[in-house]
Formats: sequence, structure tokens, C-alpha cells
Amino acid sequence: MTTRDLGLVALMAAVIVALGAVPAIPLAAGVPITLQSMGVMLAGLVLGPRRGAAAVAVVIALVALGLPVLAGGRGGLGVFVGPTAGFLVGWLVAAFVTGFLAMVFEAPEKPTWLRTAQLTAAAVIGGIVALYVCGILWLAFFVKMGLVKAFMVSLPFVPGDVAKAIVAALVTVKVRQAVAIERK
Amino acid sequence: MIAALARPGSSPLHRTAAARKLAALAAIATLLFFVDAPAPLGFAFAAGLAAARSTGVRFAEIGSDLKGPAAVLAVLGLADWWLVDAATAVSVVLRLGAIALFAHAVTVTTSTAELTAVLERLFVPAERLGLLDAARAALTVTLAIRFVPLIVEEAREIRQAQAARGLDGSITALAVPLMVRVIVRAEALADAIDARGFPPERAVVAPSRSPEIRPDREVPTP
Repeated sequence: MTTRDLGLVALMAAVIVALGAVPAIPLAAGVPITLQSMGVMLAGLVLGPRRGAAAVAVVIALVALGLPVLAGGRGGLGVFVGPTAGFLVGWLVAAFVTGFLAMVFEAPEKPTWLRTAQLTAAAVIGGIVALYVCGILWLAFFVKMGLVKAFMVSLPFVPGDVAKAIVAALVTVKVRQAVAIERK
Repeated sequence: MIAALARPGSSPLHRTAAARKLAALAAIATLLFFVDAPAPLGFAFAAGLAAARSTGVRFAEIGSDLKGPAAVLAVLGLADWWLVDAATAVSVVLRLGAIALFAHAVTVTTSTAELTAVLERLFVPAERLGLLDAARAALTVTLAIRFVPLIVEEAREIRQAQAARGLDGSITALAVPLMVRVIVRAEALADAIDARGFPPERAVVAPSRSPEIRPDREVPTP
């Protein structure tokens, strides 16, 4: 890891934390969503799999240090034994898978709409499918909720996360038009 | 938000080793997670208040520092009251409140430098396994802590600027400039770190214990 990677990872971790501090947007259904999980998608999409996952690892380290860095000022080791622990640790997988797919799909000569669609797919597969697998497995087996119930409980958050995946892809395309940054 | 919360002082908690405080915080948070009865949770909340006050910070200041978490707690409590029952709501609020207070007591009394030192020690076993570079990993975490308030401030500035152009509420209008600024700033940050000759000599992280006298060094005279 170069010093530049170190700076990018640290600042991306700070962005993920900052996005959790931005006020939540209340959905029509009354389920509040925060932008923090979009930060995780952005970490993978913009920085790539390894640096993206490293940025998430830094956020998780801050949580373990008892700092209130998660959305809504949550933090501390209690989170690691809480019902949503699978979703927190799953961020590591989410950022890595998202970044990996973004690298696989990458081709600068493609039209913008296609790149946006592919980055959205990367964010959906990494930031939703892979993430929810981790979160639901934890809910089902460690919280002893059962797979079906755990799945049903997680379902209301899917529309918001899909919206975040689309925004994250749009943001990534624009960011990469503005500054040169490679994924790794 | 999380940085610049540490305040100088000489309270018992200020004098306690950072590693001990962190271990205690971890133990308390984990323990409280398994407690549901309101009485012990009420006791923990009172103990948390006492711990936070023992740092020399006044209650009014503690209140304003923890305004954000308190608002979230209120929402969570109301939701639990409405969806489950009052007893659950009381337990949840007391538990999370107690943990927040203890965490605040640690945050107020522990400097970022002390935290880095603890982290570095935790990273050393991973370094032995060749997984990471302890000093660099610790610096990355410290930098993240340091930059959170700045990034939050930047996000707020961008929001204000976009609102002036009638773009308030647009997430892309916030996230694109924020990410671009972060990437540009990371370059400057890397230059600054390199200019300061980081990381320091490896011997600082893991002191050599070998007994032999090295011929290239002067033997200290009494």
C-alpha cells in the first residue's frame, strides 16, 4: 500500500462516517434510510476492491474503539453482538465484491449509460446481495430468527438500497470524469 | 463529532492507561448487551453518568456533546414503546444511553495519540503474520478519526452551496464534489506524510531484544 492509498482509505472511511451523520431521508413507507451504506458502495466503486474493503475495515475499527461512527451515532463493541452485526461485518464483503465487479466491468470506451448500468449492477450484487446474505445469515442463526423471518425483516430496506446503488453508480461515473483514479 | 472530543485533564480516567479503558469499555458494552432487566440497566446508566462526570466535564457539556445520540435514543425508545412495550423501550434507552456515556468518558479522556498506540499494539500480531503494516494501519485509523469532522463540515458547506443554486436535496450534487475533494485531498495528505518521513524506524514498533552488542554502535558508558 502506498502512502496515497493510505490517504484515500482514511478519507474514504471518514466519508462513510460523515454520510452516516447526514440526516436520514424518511421513505414513504416510514422506514428511514441513511446514506452510510451508499458510502460503502462508493468505497468499492471508486477505490476498488482492496482499498474499498480497507476503508470499511477502518470504519469497523472505529466502531470497535467505541466511537459513535455508525448512522444514528451508534458504535462500540455492543454493535458486534447486536442483531445487525452481520450487516456491519458484511460491509467488508460488500465493498470488496462491488469493487471487484466494477473492475471486471471497467472499459473506458463504453457509453456512459452502459457504464452506469454496469456499476449499478456491481453495487446491487455487492452492496445488496452479498451484504444481505451476511446480514440475513447472522439474523437467522445467531439471533435465532430463522431464514424466512430474517429475509422478511430485511426486505423493506431493499428499495432504498437499490436507489442508493443507482445514485452511487451515477456519482462514480461523474467522479471518474472529474479526476483520474484507478481501482485496486 | 468524534475528533477533538478529548480534553486535557488530570482526572483518574485521564491517568488510566488507554488500553485498560478500551478493554473496560468493550467489556461493559458486551456485558450490557446481555442484560434486559431495567434495574441493573438503570444502575449502569447512573454509573455511566458518574464516569462521564468524573472526567471533569460538566453535565451541561456532556448533554450537548451527546445531543445526536440522545435524539436517536429518543426515536428508538418511542418506536419500541409503540411497537413493543414501555418496558422494552426503557431497557433499550437505558442500555444504549449507558454505553454512550461510558464511551464518552473514554473519548474525553483519551487522546488520539494514545488510541493510535493501542491500535498499533493490536496490529503487531497481524503484522507478524504478514497481513499488514502496523504503523501504517494505525496511522490510517487515526487519520480517519481526524478527518471525520472536516469531511462532515465539507459536506455541510457543499450542501449550502448547492442549496443556493436550488439543488438542495440532490444526493449526487452532494456526493460528487465531496468525493472529488476527498481524492484531491488524499494526494496532498500523502505528500505531507511522505515529507515527514513516515513510517518511522521499524525498531520503534518492535524493539529488538537481542542481547549481543552491535559493533556499529557506541557502547553506552555509565
